[in-house]
Amino acid sequence: MNILETKGLYHDFNRLEVLFDVNLKVKEGERHAIIGPNGAGKTTLFNVITGTYAPSRGAVFFKGEVVTGAKPHRMVRLGMGRSFQITSTFNRLTAFQNIRMGVLSRRGIRFNFFRKVDKMEDITRETDEILKRINLYGERNMPASALSYGKHRSLEISMALATDPDVVMLDEPTAGMSKDETRYAVELIRKLTEGKTAVIIEHDMDVVFSLADHITVLHLGTILASGPPDKIRKNKAVKDAYLGEMEG
Amino acid sequence: MTRRVKGIVGGVILVILALYPWLFGIYFTNVIVTCAIFALFAVSYNLLLGYTGLFSFGHAMFFGAGGYATALALTHIEGCPLLVALLFGFLGAVALALLLSPIVARLAHSAFAMLHLAFSMLLYTLALKLRGITGGEDGIGGFPIPPFRIPGVVSVDMTDPLNFYYFAMAVLCGSLWVAWFLTKTPFGQIIVSVRDNDKRVDYMGFKVPQTKAIIYTLSCGFAGIAGSIYAMFQNLISAAALGIAQSFAPIVMTMVGGVISFFGPIWGAVIFAVIEELTTRYTERVQLVEGLILIIVILFFPGGFIHIVAIVKGKLLGFTRGKGAGLIKGKWFGKQAGKKPTEGDS
Repeated sequence: MNILETKGLYHDFNRLEVLFDVNLKVKEGERHAIIGPNGAGKTTLFNVITGTYAPSRGAVFFKGEVVTGAKPHRMVRLGMGRSFQITSTFNRLTAFQNIRMGVLSRRGIRFNFFRKVDKMEDITRETDEILKRINLYGERNMPASALSYGKHRSLEISMALATDPDVVMLDEPTAGMSKDETRYAVELIRKLTEGKTAVIIEHDMDVVFSLADHITVLHLGTILASGPPDKIRKNKAVKDAYLGEMEG
Repeated sequence: MTRRVKGIVGGVILVILALYPWLFGIYFTNVIVTCAIFALFAVSYNLLLGYTGLFSFGHAMFFGAGGYATALALTHIEGCPLLVALLFGFLGAVALALLLSPIVARLAHSAFAMLHLAFSMLLYTLALKLRGITGGEDGIGGFPIPPFRIPGVVSVDMTDPLNFYYFAMAVLCGSLWVAWFLTKTPFGQIIVSVRDNDKRVDYMGFKVPQTKAIIYTLSCGFAGIAGSIYAMFQNLISAAALGIAQSFAPIVMTMVGGVISFFGPIWGAVIFAVIEELTTRYTERVQLVEGLILIIVILFFPGGFIHIVAIVKGKLLGFTRGKGAGLIKGKWFGKQAGKKPTEGDS
């Protein structure tokens, strides 16, 4: 079953077409990579799916429901998490507090005025468990802005997962990372997305081919090819448009 | 500080406040009531600035709305009880906030600040022009101050400054406690997240405009309580309470006291009360001194009084942990130089 699907998705910025008839199909439980050259519309596709803006035409289906144009908070409540290419954390809050926001959100604790959040022991315990899983427990009380780049990226990715989404959308999770950091991040993503559906925008082909079960190639705002990694590797059109220049 | 030390400090402050009129006489009692009114006003302001990252140039609107609502209730409602008059003050400010929140909750930064300036000027002008209701420049004064009464139990005369002191301090300190508690709740966590990165808050599953509207309304309600007590304390409310100078009072107090901490604005109110008290003995140019102090603080201690305390603590005790350490290392302000001055996660 397709847990996430777009049908005939178009989007333009002041008539500059960025997405052109995109029909994305993401099956439940798979790690789906979206690749493509710069300017292919990958992040725009993410933005349209996660509710940053509504598409100019077409529809988005999530868990069989039409969610076209639904706002980000609604998508999160429906079970979609998202991380950003440019790290976007709560910089003056601690790592613990950053993750706790996700835990609070999942438990539906929003407008609670009558209990101290620090006294909610189950929330604290659950947050600490997540911090341990992502190896950030040692930096628990450090402000997010003071974390090293790699750890900051881990926090960014983990915030998307702290709401325990069914589908997690990761926009270039390894952006700007060193080789070691990337290797670590890939393992982290593999561990955290176990049993979930993940849609990942990625530039690093090593990451893509080691992580993805399914690859969609976006080129000039439309889907060039979509299939398992082996097929994509052999696809002539993809090679010409994208992989060739990367490998060459 | 450990829980125990905090308890002791709190207890000592309460005892001092309880004995204060007996120790320092009625004149200084009035000084401290004014100071506490402005402390609550400044703290209510910091809920927006320091906690939610919303910079307003018109917070006096809500202070004034509270004052006028209470004054009008006491003038026009025969035998209006004290607490009902106070409730009117609170609700007056809340009503105004609810009216504005659909517009302002979707704004931030300079648009938010300037729109508040515009609205507060509008209200200021209305207060001057609608003489039939507001008394124009003279304001509303001389209304009766009812006794604090619980039927069949107790009736305390509030025209006695000593009794009023206890009433005012109970209300103001109680409100401060509620505001402090609010910052510790899950909701308090959401508002500081909005301050840091409102876009991400949306992506964590929270509604940003609604969150802003709620903290905005609560903040304005607290300002209304401060204004209400102010009107009863002075037995007068005039358009000045809505003016620009009044809007800048909490801004300046928050800056000088420290935007980073819940208690910063309270320190700011105390510092300004002390400066005013000392300066008026020598010169009338109080604002000159206040202005100089503001300049010095902004240039050298952008974190305010709390910042200075952290530095001193660091020097004396070799503080290397916690928020104080962050302040000294410039983590909180060094990086943020030139950005909007928002802190407040104590």
